[in-house]
This record gives sequence, structure tokens and C-alpha cells, in this order.
Amino acid sequence: MTLVQGAREFVAPGVDLVALAPELILVAVISGVLLIDLMLPQDKKGLMMPVSALGLLAALGATLFLVGDVRITLSGMFVVDSFAVLFKVIFLLAALLTLALSHDYLKDDEIHHGEYYFLLLCSLLGMMTIASSRDLVAIFVSLELISLPSFVLVGLRKRDLKSNEAALKFFLFGVLSTAIMLFGMSLVYGVTGQTSLVGIASSLTQFPPLREVAILSILFILVGFGFKISAFPFQWWVPDTYEGAPVPIAAFLSVASKTAGFVGLLQILFIGFLGLADIWRPFLAAVAVLTMTFGNLVAIQQKHIIRLLAYSSIGQAGYILIPLAVVGVGTPELNAIAFQASIVYLLIYAFMETGAFACAIAYGRRGGGYFVSDYAGLSARSPGLAIAMTMFLFSLAGIPPLAGWAAKFFVFRALIDGGAYWLAAIMAINTVIALFYYAAVPRQMVFAAPTETRRIEIPWMLSSAIALSAIVVVLIGILPDIFGALARAAAGG
Amino acid sequence: MHQYVFVVIGVLMAIAAVRLVTTKNVVHGALYLLMVLAGAAAIFILLLAEFVGWVQVLLYIGAVVVLLLFGLMLTRAPIGRTALDNQSRALAALVAGAIFAMTSMVLVRAFDGQMIDFSQTLTVRTLGGVLFTKYVLPFEVVSVLLLAALVGAVVLAKRDE
Amino acid sequence: MTAFVVVSVIKVFVVFGAVLGTVLFTIWLERKIVARMQSRYGPNRWGPFGLFTSLADGVKLFFKEQVSPRGIDKAAYVAAPVLALIPAFLAFAVIPFGEHVTLFGQTVTLEVTDLNVGLLWVIAMGSLAVYGVVLAGWASGSKYPLLGGIRSSAQMISYEIALSLSLVPVVVWAGTLSLREIVEAQIGTFGTIGWLPGPVQWIGHLIPKWYVVFQLPAFLLFMAAGVAETNRAPFDLPEAETELVAGYHTEYSGIKFAMFFLAEYVHIITISAVAVIMFLGGWDGPHLPFLPWMWPLMNFMGKTFTLVFLFIWLRATLPRIRYDKLMVLGWKGLIPMALGWLVVSATILTVKDAYFG
Repeated sequence: MTLVQGAREFVAPGVDLVALAPELILVAVISGVLLIDLMLPQDKKGLMMPVSALGLLAALGATLFLVGDVRITLSGMFVVDSFAVLFKVIFLLAALLTLALSHDYLKDDEIHHGEYYFLLLCSLLGMMTIASSRDLVAIFVSLELISLPSFVLVGLRKRDLKSNEAALKFFLFGVLSTAIMLFGMSLVYGVTGQTSLVGIASSLTQFPPLREVAILSILFILVGFGFKISAFPFQWWVPDTYEGAPVPIAAFLSVASKTAGFVGLLQILFIGFLGLADIWRPFLAAVAVLTMTFGNLVAIQQKHIIRLLAYSSIGQAGYILIPLAVVGVGTPELNAIAFQASIVYLLIYAFMETGAFACAIAYGRRGGGYFVSDYAGLSARSPGLAIAMTMFLFSLAGIPPLAGWAAKFFVFRALIDGGAYWLAAIMAINTVIALFYYAAVPRQMVFAAPTETRRIEIPWMLSSAIALSAIVVVLIGILPDIFGALARAAAGG
Repeated sequence: MHQYVFVVIGVLMAIAAVRLVTTKNVVHGALYLLMVLAGAAAIFILLLAEFVGWVQVLLYIGAVVVLLLFGLMLTRAPIGRTALDNQSRALAALVAGAIFAMTSMVLVRAFDGQMIDFSQTLTVRTLGGVLFTKYVLPFEVVSVLLLAALVGAVVLAKRDE
Repeated sequence: MTAFVVVSVIKVFVVFGAVLGTVLFTIWLERKIVARMQSRYGPNRWGPFGLFTSLADGVKLFFKEQVSPRGIDKAAYVAAPVLALIPAFLAFAVIPFGEHVTLFGQTVTLEVTDLNVGLLWVIAMGSLAVYGVVLAGWASGSKYPLLGGIRSSAQMISYEIALSLSLVPVVVWAGTLSLREIVEAQIGTFGTIGWLPGPVQWIGHLIPKWYVVFQLPAFLLFMAAGVAETNRAPFDLPEAETELVAGYHTEYSGIKFAMFFLAEYVHIITISAVAVIMFLGGWDGPHLPFLPWMWPLMNFMGKTFTLVFLFIWLRATLPRIRYDKLMVLGWKGLIPMALGWLVVSATILTVKDAYFG
């Protein structure tokens, strides 16, 4: 029998092309970027960015077309529901914003444009698939697709030793934690014989004697995600990597990549391992507390704005993680509230963090520099930029009426509803500590004397990215229920 | 029979793995890695997963470790003994040992006394079928991943003109 | 069970001996042919036509003093020739060189073992061959062997891809990885070809069903990659004596050198045998009424030696090519061509199955 005869017996899996449309468009864009890069002459490489952006817009359109739909395809491995669609939109928006940040940054730096956008889009594809993956293998592979291009992206400034160091640290940490996570996944497969999250969940309730192995495996899996979301004690790579990487990539890592990690983690915990919530809850509580405390305490001493944002993003990861510390086995309403709190925080975080990075790039690339002391007197030189930066930082700190405040409110509510008062107290203390370093930058901008008086010109793409983030941060600060409703819809799915 | 062969392979693999992390010579390290991977291939074959076993030989032993050695030679890999050491060795050994103890305890308790069912073998045809039906999503994602890895490696290694 | 074990042990020894004998014969053949092509006599002192020269050389190398330079890495230096030789011989374990014979009431298949992933085994063993070269180059602790080792590992890894890819269309065509089944699929002729005009329909009886007919490009790719994979001229850069003294085995002498030398020739025979199995119908060919068990064996040997002769002919004819051109040929020539042909041949197969049954 030839293989072709065999192929006739082969029943092709039912493929729902509509459900896969955003990913398929993205794959087409990825191939297109690679081919167009081959053909473009060196001085026209700037065109790569609009090409990628158009592709992303097409994918965004296809994703928005799926709003409200529930589609399951590829033998249950690929699920499109409100949760998936919400995060796909966020990833696409984050990628579009990153493109906007990149365009002028790349002009000044010697980075290969084609490969830069190609790798960025590959990483994005991994994020898109992880949002829809309901299977350990698919989640793992997507996570790898997110990480691997980012290792290279971080090291793209080849002549800069800091960039090399950043890439190496990122790579070593990434590979080690991925290996541990994969081992954990293999254990759970060994116990249940399943890779689908739903299957694992039902097996875990059926065979209680194997719980021990499952517990071990979820701990190992948490290591892998701990790296991805930069939770303590897997956060050591973050500051060096963000500092050495091209700054738009640092923004991409701290927003999109971290969100993708959370998306994978939420799915594994809430679909696959909810039955073991009593076991992982205390671990997550401890990790969340340590993460935010470490991030905020170390951030106080930072002099470099990117390192400051890096430590701040570690602290923020703690806030996003902490609602999961109230999740329980028999408490669906509470679980839904915790789930929503994490999602709302993630959504708001994406915009305020991108905005802060955008401001740092806008100032840093235009001769300002990346040290906090360089920000002296910015309010006199460029009041708009100073106001935007202040707004994002205050939002990250959680000062009302900005969006960050709403995010913290959702988290506090989840903690109080779950009766975790002491966690709420620790988080409140952390918020106060964080105010020190978040306020340090505005203080420099307003009260220190400027060393230069030249006005700062911001390219339109960068300023529109800042404006978009700023609008979201203000709007959600006033009407937090927009994101609240989105999160409720996602939790319903 | 299977148990004894497994024990022999397992012990050899364990020795090679320990030597891999304790040896001071990079190339010897690579050769110990080779032994570990060969042991893994042998275990696959022992479990009647011939195809996976030989692919393991072909890809890991025949390609990955060779590339590793190749890389060692192109970069200034030391010929003979050199110091390749790390201060945190003891700590790492402690952590690894603790994880090993915990994992093996849990695994022994969970699977003690269970037998593997050798009645069904894995043919290439079934493997291909599963790969292109149930696991087609990871398969396609991996292909993009490999493309990204290829492009990434080239862009990092290429000399700028 | 016991009979099976005994038969297997005997087969292992017979095959090992046969391969060793064939190698010695091949070495003599090469010297003789190259000499004739260069208007020389070649070896003619020991035995008829100098036939025992290789044997004498082997004995000499065996008893020679073994010089090991200072600065070597002892373990790897000793292991390298062994690692070169063992996989070369192991690859032969799955090669079927005939149908089966009945001896003392036992039906014996003419191969050591029929692995159902036999082709994979051959490729895997081929991929291990590079270790001997790499380790020899590194362990010698001297620059020419190191350069030779680096060159050859790059070359062998690169051409291994083309080599394996060129076999994939045949596997797709045959639907199996077992070498025996691949040969069995090629036995016979096309018979009467219905769609040809009447008077020439009989021509199908003259065309054997060997895969080379439809897979000619794959065959050519395989042979080209095979020459490079065995480090033979014109692709013998790892040991290019004009630049690298003798490449990876510069620092080896005596029996250790003999092992490298043997391994190279075993590889030539393996590649030829695999080509015969995959493309030239294995033991298929003319059968005469007397001595029925002999003809498959003769067919197989005849085809294999034809290909071995091709290797030798190439060496005597073509000059060595430059290293960068070699890599360009491998990566930009053979690999894309192999991939392209895979697509084309899968398409042909689908169309053929769909419209011609």
C-alpha cells in the first residue's frame, strides 16, 4: 500500500477556517514579511513596518469578527471563546503599539528591519495560539514560539555588550525554566494519559491516588510560567534583559509576553488544575507577595528608567497574581471574581505599561537619556510628554482617578471577598512603597532644573501610541466597568 | 527481562549524567551527553517505540551533539583540561538532590507495582496519523517555531557588512 | 528460539566477514582501476593480479608500531577510530542482499535483521559516522586534524540532509521504511502498458519496476550526496592532502589508521548497497534455471559493484572542488532540489493513483 492509498483512508481533522482566520492571516503576514525583506533594497527597509502593521490590522479585523462566537476545532485543541478573543485583541493591539514604538527606534539603531519584524510577528503568533490552546502540548509549543524569537530580538543589537548579556541571561533562564515545566507536563501526562486540559481535570477527580504526582507536576509547571510572568524567584533576568534589549522589545516583553504567560497560566490553573486549587493557592499567595515586595523594594534604588520600569513590572506581576490566592475548589462565584480581577488588571496594565515605555523611548531617543536624573526639568521642555509620563506612572502606582486605581480596586475586592485580609494589607503596604519610586520621576521632571532647554520633537507614530494609551488609561479610570464587563464575558467562557 | 535491561541502561545513563555535570572538559561533557541521549533512545526502543528511538539517535546523537562539538571547535574550545567551574556547585547539587529525592519518592509511590502494557506497538503509520490529526495544531506551530529559530540563528551569526 | 539465536549469530559473522572481504577487494579494485586509468600497472606483486595486496597491507598495519603524539586527549583519541568503524559495520545489519535460502530445514532470510524502520537505522548509523572524524580531529591536539575535523563535520552534516531528503520520495512511493519491503515492491516489470499504441505495448515487459525509472532525480541526488557523505573525491576535503596533510587522521598510524581507512570503504559499499535497494530493485534481475539461490545474490553484488566502480571512476576523473563551493552546492543546490523533487514526486504519485489506478 502506498502512502497515498493510506492517505485516502486518512480522515482529515475538521478544520474551522473561520476560527483559525486570525492566525492564518498572521502566518501569511509572517511569510510575506520574510519574502518582502528579501526583495526590498536596503534604503527601503522602512516599508517593513507599514506592511506588518497592515497585516496586524487584517488579523485584528478577523479576530473582531469572532466576537461573541464560541468555536471549537482541531479536535478540541483550539477554542475560540470570549476569553481567547479578548486576549487576542489585546495581543494584537500590544503588537501594533510595539510596531509604532519600533519604527523610529530602528531608524537610529543598526538593526535588521526584516528579521526584527519577522521575529516580532512570530512571537505574536505564539501569543495568539496560546490564547486559544486548551491542551498542554499546544500551550507548551505556543509558549516556546513566544520565547524563542524574543531571545533573538533581545540580542539584536549585536555590537552592544549589554544586549548580548541580556540575550544570554534571558536565554539561559528561559531554557532552564522551560525544561522544568516540560518535565512537569510530562508527569501529568504520565499520570492521566491526557494532554487536553479538560481531560486532565476529569482524570484528576477520578483517580485521587495520583494526586501527588499531579501536585508535583503543577509545581514544576508553575516554574515555567513563573519565568514567563517574571514572578519571584524567577525574575532575576528581567532588569538586565529589559535594559540591554532594544527598548520597544523591552516594552513588548513586559506587556505582551507577560500577558501571554498569564493567559497560559490562567487556563492551566482554571481549566486543568482547578481541582488542586487548595494545593497551589498557598504557593501562589507566597509567590505573589514575594514578587510584589521584591519588585517594589528593589525598584526604589533604581537610577535607570528602564530598570525602574522592569522592577515595577515585577511588582505589577505580583498584583496580577495575588487574586489567584483566594481561588478555591467549591467556590465558583469567588473564583469568577478572582479570575476577573486578574484579567482586568492585565488589560489595564497592558496600556499603562506600554504608555510608560513609549514615553521613555520618546524622551530617551531624542537626546534625553535613560537615567532618572536625565528627566530633570522635563515639564518645562515638553509639558505634554511630562504630563503623559506622570499619568502613566501614577496609574501604575494606583492613584485615582486613573485606570491603575480601578485595577487595584478589582484586586482588593477579590481579596476582601475571599477573606484574605492579610494579603490585602500586604498589597496596600506595597502600593505605598511603590509610590516612592513612581513619584521620583515626576519630582525630577517638575522640581529639578533642566540642563537643556531644547524642545523635544516626538515622531507622530510615537505620540499617537502615547495618546492612545493615555486615552485608555483616563477612560478606564473613569469608567472601569468597560473592562469589568469584558472580563466578566471572558470569565463566562 | 525488560526490567534488567532497563536497570542497566538507567544506571549507565545516571552515571553519564552525573559525569556530564562534574567533568571539567567541555568536549568530554558533550560525549557524556551523547551517552545520556543514547540511553534515552535505548529506552524508547525498549518500550517498542522503534521509530521514536531511531529518530532520537538520528537527530540528537547524529545532529544536535555533532553541532555542539562543531560549535565547540569553532569557538575556542580548550583541548585538554581547563577550569570550567562555578562557585554555586554545592548549592546546585543540594537543590537538584532535593528535587530528585522528592520526585522519585512521589513517582515510586504513585506507580509502584504497575506494569507496562507491551501488547500494542507504535507503528510509523499510527504516529503519522496522530501527528496530522489530533496534534496538527502543535505540529504547525512548531514549524513556525523552527523557521523563527532558523532566521534568528542566521541573523545573530551573520557578520554585518 | 535456539535455532533462531544460532542462525542470527552465524549471520552476523557471515555478514561481517563478507563485508570485510568486500572491503579488501574494493581497496584492491580501486588501486587497480585508478592505476589503469592513469596508465600504470597498480599492485601486481602478491597473489594473482596483486589480489592479496590489501590483505598484506592490513597485516602490515596491524603489526606496525602505533605512534601517539603528545598533547592528545587519550580517551577520545582511542575512541575515535572505533566510533568510526562500528556504525559503518552496524549499518549493514539491515541490508537485505537476497530473498531467502533454505538450509538444513531452516528458512534463512538474507540479512541480519529485518527492522521495520530499517531505512531509518541506516541513516542513523550514517549520522553516527561523523563522530569518528570529529573526535579524531579534536583529540589529536594538532591543527591540521582539527581543521579537517571541522571541515568534515560541516560537510557530513550538510550532505546528510540532502542524502536523507533524497530518500524520502522513495519512502512515500513505497509506503514503508523496511528495506526488504521496498525491494519487494520493485520486483518485476511494468508488463503490458495499456495506454501506449498497440504495437509498442510490449515494451513494458523490458522495463523493470525499479524506482530509478520514476525517481531518477532522487537517485542522482542520492549518489551526489553519497559521494560527499563518504568524503570521497571530488568531495574529499576533510583529508585534502594538498592543504591539510591528511586531515583528521594525520596523527593516526597502525591499526587505528587502518580502522579509519576501513570505515571509509565500508561506507562506500553501504551507500552503493542502499542505492541498489532503494532505486535499482535490490536483488531483482535475471534468474537462470540452475542454482536458484545464487542469482539474487549475484544480481545484488553485480549492481553494488557497478556503483562502487562509479565511485572509483569519479575519483580518477574529477579534481577536488573548493570548500566554499562544496557548501554552496550542498545547501543551495542539493537540499532545495531534494525538497522540490519531493513535492513533485508526491504530486505525480497522487495524480497517478487518482487517474491511472
